[in-house]
Amino acid sequence: MPKRSPAEQLDLAISALLARPQQRQAPRPGPRVAKFATLVRSLRDLPRPEFKLALKTDLQRRNSMNEAAVPSPAPQKLAQFRRPDFPNIAPYFLVNGAPKFIDFLVSAFEGTERIRVPRPDGAIMHAEVAIGNSVIELGDANEQYPQRSMTTHLYVPDADATYARALKAGATPIYAPSDDHPSGDRWGEARDPFGNTWYIATRKSRVVAPEGFLTVQPYLHLRDAHNMIPFAEAALGAAATGVHKSPEGLVMHATIEIAGATFEIDEAQGEVQPTQSNLHAYVPDTDAIYAQALRAGAIGITPPSNAPYGDRAATVKDPYGNTWFLATYLGTGRAKP
Amino acid sequence: MAVRRPAQEPSTKGVREELLVQAAQSDPAKFDALYELYFYRVYYFLAARVRNRATAEDLTSEVFHKALANLPNYEWRGAPFGAWLFRIASNALADQYKRASRDPAAPNDPPETSANTDLSSRDLQAIENQVQIFGLVKKLPAAQRRVIYERFVDQRTIPEIAARLKKSEGAIKQLQFRALQTLRAQMEGGHA
Repeated sequence: MPKRSPAEQLDLAISALLARPQQRQAPRPGPRVAKFATLVRSLRDLPRPEFKLALKTDLQRRNSMNEAAVPSPAPQKLAQFRRPDFPNIAPYFLVNGAPKFIDFLVSAFEGTERIRVPRPDGAIMHAEVAIGNSVIELGDANEQYPQRSMTTHLYVPDADATYARALKAGATPIYAPSDDHPSGDRWGEARDPFGNTWYIATRKSRVVAPEGFLTVQPYLHLRDAHNMIPFAEAALGAAATGVHKSPEGLVMHATIEIAGATFEIDEAQGEVQPTQSNLHAYVPDTDAIYAQALRAGAIGITPPSNAPYGDRAATVKDPYGNTWFLATYLGTGRAKP
Repeated sequence: MAVRRPAQEPSTKGVREELLVQAAQSDPAKFDALYELYFYRVYYFLAARVRNRATAEDLTSEVFHKALANLPNYEWRGAPFGAWLFRIASNALADQYKRASRDPAAPNDPPETSANTDLSSRDLQAIENQVQIFGLVKKLPAAQRRVIYERFVDQRTIPEIAARLKKSEGAIKQLQFRALQTLRAQMEGGHA
């Protein structure tokens, strides 16, 4: 029988050890490999690098999600430019059949209709529905603003109950709330009859006062999402407060704050297609932000003007096709036509 | 096996760690530094007790998620942050034992050790030794490191690794042997 080399003897000892994972002690090795025994046993407990990276990624994502739900203390200080009862960046839904959409919001999310401005033909020009501490705006789609499918992230006290109500109100289930979401929150997803996606979540990770986070946050799925961050910073005076990227540099989740209110983005990939959203954001100085946005590459839709409802308002479109209704509250009026 | 140098990971003691904790408390994104500091320690603490990779990974994940969630409530009292993490790990382990004992489908997967998870200084030294080895593996030449991961982490056979790396079985055994020689020399020589 030919004599085995040290490398082969060592491999035999390793094979025996790996075949007996429950044993602390390796089989008695020959003297030439016995000196490796402790080391070999140690290597058996090497963690998978993929696991280490994946867990780190999960934790970063959870942080990023948490920051989405915890606004900076800035809003109070900056509140004077913000219309009362508009704490969030409001998703502005344009749908075919706005009255039914309002019914859905009321039934599914316990929304409270607070303004409805009809057109002469009975369609809705503008409406607002309060959900939790936030607001959603909507109107009937038209030629200039056709229907768009948007994604919205809701933080609610009981995701399961809200999810059930949404299904009862006509939403299509995507997945029921579970604790398995990487954010660490209880999280489910449903699609409303108008094609909009709703992330329905209840925070589990960090206890905050009910008024300490926003119920409604727009969630944008973007192609080349990483470019949105420098754009939003340059154009809208935004700050990325939580960015989580994949090893390849794709934005898996980011929270971006504009003047104390936040929206979320991620890279559109796989089944998640890019969205184009309409967003109503209050900013300290509409004129300055409008000019800044154009310099950063936004397309001007309507230049700043004093709206009859008491806002200094302007509209721009970002390079992703999202429409931004910029506004600064002037402190007069209330109803928005 | 003698270990003459402290672990290659950053020191777990003193002011620096307290600063890391404070930084993570004010900005959870900075939890990364604590994660890097303690990942191997927590993982090994658990892996050595459950002897099952999937369970060790689940528990490690649970520990760090709980630590992150409860970080705002953590108060620095002079003890290493690791002591807090190991306490969370011990609780996770105890819960795991309870679950396993109630699960009739897993009678063949008992934990090797008891739920007694108090850490002696010897236990802590064993963890530090292990962390040093994990750190040294990362510094191996790429081909040797690949073989070590394929063999011990993925638990592939020599023929499987040879096929994957397009080398002869003899060459793989040699790479494995050299890797272990290198690791052993570094452990005993005290230089990584």
